[in-house]
Amino acid sequence: MIFGLLVLHVAVCVVLACAGRRLGRSSLLVGAVPPACSALWGAARLGASPPATADVTWVNGLDLAMTFRVDAFAEIMTLIVSGIGVLVFVYAFGYFGPGATHTGRFATTLLAFSTSMLGLVWADSVWTLFVFWELTSVTSFLLVGHKSTDTEVLAAARRALMVTAGGGLVLLAGLLLVTGEAGTTLISELAPVDGTAATIGAVLVMIAAATKSAQVPFHPWLPGAMVAPTPVSAYLHAATMVKAGVVLVAVAGPALGGIGAWKGCGLAFGVASIVWGALGALRHRDAKLILAWGTVSQLGMLITLFSVGTPVAVLAAVALLVAHALFKGALFLIVGEIDVRAGTRHIDELGGLARSMPVAFAAAVLAGLSMAGAPPLFGFVAKETAIQAALGLDGAEAWVVGFGVIGGSVLTVAYTFRFLVAVFGPGPETPLSPRRHALSVPPLVLAVGGLAAFAVLGPLDAVLAPAAVRLSGGAPVDHLHRWPGLEPALAISAVVLVVGAIVGLALGRTPGQAPADHAGRWTDASIDGMVAFGRATVVRVQHGSLPVYLVTMAAVAPLAATPLLADISLDHLVRWHTPLQGVLAATVVGAALALCWVGTRLGAGLALGAAGITVAAVFVIHGAPDLALTQLLVEAAIVVGFVLAFGHLSRSFPKTGLRWRTVRMTVAGLGGVAVVIGLAAASGNPVGAPPLAELAAASVGEGGGSNIVNVILTDIRGLDTLGEVLVLATVALGVQALARAASSREGSAS
Amino acid sequence: MIDGSAPMIRLGIRAASPFATVVGCYLLFAGHNNPGGGFAAGLVFGAVLALRTIAGFHRPTYGIPLVAAGVFVVAAVALMPLLWGDPLFDQQVLSVEVLMLGKIKTGSALPFDLGVAAIVVGTVIAALDGLGAAEFAADPPANSDRGERE
Repeated sequence: MIFGLLVLHVAVCVVLACAGRRLGRSSLLVGAVPPACSALWGAARLGASPPATADVTWVNGLDLAMTFRVDAFAEIMTLIVSGIGVLVFVYAFGYFGPGATHTGRFATTLLAFSTSMLGLVWADSVWTLFVFWELTSVTSFLLVGHKSTDTEVLAAARRALMVTAGGGLVLLAGLLLVTGEAGTTLISELAPVDGTAATIGAVLVMIAAATKSAQVPFHPWLPGAMVAPTPVSAYLHAATMVKAGVVLVAVAGPALGGIGAWKGCGLAFGVASIVWGALGALRHRDAKLILAWGTVSQLGMLITLFSVGTPVAVLAAVALLVAHALFKGALFLIVGEIDVRAGTRHIDELGGLARSMPVAFAAAVLAGLSMAGAPPLFGFVAKETAIQAALGLDGAEAWVVGFGVIGGSVLTVAYTFRFLVAVFGPGPETPLSPRRHALSVPPLVLAVGGLAAFAVLGPLDAVLAPAAVRLSGGAPVDHLHRWPGLEPALAISAVVLVVGAIVGLALGRTPGQAPADHAGRWTDASIDGMVAFGRATVVRVQHGSLPVYLVTMAAVAPLAATPLLADISLDHLVRWHTPLQGVLAATVVGAALALCWVGTRLGAGLALGAAGITVAAVFVIHGAPDLALTQLLVEAAIVVGFVLAFGHLSRSFPKTGLRWRTVRMTVAGLGGVAVVIGLAAASGNPVGAPPLAELAAASVGEGGGSNIVNVILTDIRGLDTLGEVLVLATVALGVQALARAASSREGSAS
Repeated sequence: MIDGSAPMIRLGIRAASPFATVVGCYLLFAGHNNPGGGFAAGLVFGAVLALRTIAGFHRPTYGIPLVAAGVFVVAAVALMPLLWGDPLFDQQVLSVEVLMLGKIKTGSALPFDLGVAAIVVGTVIAALDGLGAAEFAADPPANSDRGERE
């Protein structure tokens, strides 16, 4: 079933890619079908056990397999990814309007992203997870850069790609270290690990999670990505993709939670992001940016709670994960509707929307109160549990987490109220375009979802608790409570709401300037620096001087002979089998020496030919006519090549400096020494007798030929020959391309 | 510049090329039981073409298509046995009775060798092109874009 669903996603993707242009806007509705199927499947599976698994092995010996496992946590993520996916597809249908272009391409990429995200949350093998992790980065890049004619959009897309894909490389390194230490590549089988390698690996995995989940200091890509169409912002940058880092921290928690550095890094990233993100949300004046900075803060809260790793904290984190997907998705979609209908989302230009957009206003209030953690909404339950988790800790951790959770909650309430007042507050009424149902219904569904989740908390708890049990390593987990009773947590919650509301209402419509995007500029500057460094390296390494390339290659190749130094044996050496060998050897050496001293190119070519033909004679003496024949023919072909090339070159070799001459002589000498070492070592250590009799029998019997050499080439080792001729074919293509490049340069120069 | 239009050279190359071609064909078919094979045959054919190019008889331009065809044949020979469940490269031996020539034994190694020879010849032609074979052509072909620009 798992593979079936993935294949369905990919198949519809292919159909949309082919027919998207013809289908136009309705391709968005076609694209909603696979997520709907996945969401239904996930819903039907809720509470089922054992987990659904599927795997297909690719390379057996290397543990490379596509392995999927849908457990209690993955089911919840499936519902978030696919359920919100359906709503976003429907919403996008309204967002783009009848006249929009490239909607087919958009639907294809959005569905591709949805598929990657499903693969990510279903993955059990870390390599499967890694592949889908990078796929989400790439599809996110394409979606952010959807309006590909705008340079600001392209810069934002590049920033998002570099940060998240770079984080992917860090993830790869971390996973290699962790799986090497744990001895398994299956996430479900990871046992708690420790040691230096595992610690470094854990820190790398945490850094990767922080890049994907836009944690300080990697956060600037997320506000930058708000140039994307709003369906993308709501889906990728609120509900799903930015959760990938959180999901990683969650599923790796049971195995890595015992490592001190893992928790320390997680808390540092998390608490810093809670505070800095919330402050950003309080200062920005673009409604979408306010939400984006709020997302940074909320993701920090999730990372903090999952890093703490106690059963209560994990339960709070799972609840907040669901709640955040509902309320932040809804708020983004509402801002998108305002953007489409009012033509702006700057809070100074919006006014009177509470009256002119009553449905959106109601949905925004529901979602906003859930975000602030006010009863009777699901956000309240999540926040109460989080405060309880913070109060249940002790030592320095209690202070840090307590500061993060409680301080973050105050700031969250504050920016929520500021958002609601600033966007929907009174003011000169903004003119609106007509209402579209596809735009207003999805956010309402999500916002009411927060209320419904509070109403049916019992059944919901039965779904969320097993996920928390799975993510806290099997420890028993408490239940979610609609009303916690008169406890310190409730008092804290009340104080948080009152203080936050006062701050938020006071800040509501105060005029001001949006803060400058320093961190974003630094990020772009470091990406520019990296690109410039790469370019400078290429210029230095690929300088285009053929002699230097050849000398470098020839200088490195002899290094291969160094391990053979120990194997040299001279005992078996004889002077010669026949005196003729001595004559031929002397001829080869003489020709080689002549080649070194002769000053003209033609003379050098002749000396080279003499050496080659003498070597062919050596082959004949040793009874290898095939080798000799090939050698002779190659010599002939080389002569023709020389004849052609000499037409373009000077008669004599150019004069070179003494130093360059010395370098080349040294390298040539080294090459000769290396060959001698290799031959002396190889002939001194024959590995068993050559299986001549078997080869001869196989040659006549299976190959149907009596020339063993050629039967080996065409039959017994046919695959090797296939590889060799493919190399030859590649060389032909390369020669042709080089010749064409050279002739077109000549042509343009003349 | 080497003068490819000298009469003795032209005559020699013209006289030798049919014999060299026959030798190449012999190598191609003999390879299975005697020294020779696709690679050697390809080199002989390539040398013939190169000499004829230098002498200005003609200038082959079908290098890359020839390479492509060779790769296709070689890959087909390699993969065909998989269709009927045999391992990769499984040799099919064929014996036929031909009038006058007696019993001829051949196999799927022959098309394989043909493919290899085609790739080698194609590579030689591509290299000739790259080394400026156009300058040896008796009269520069009109369809060459270099000829037009200069």
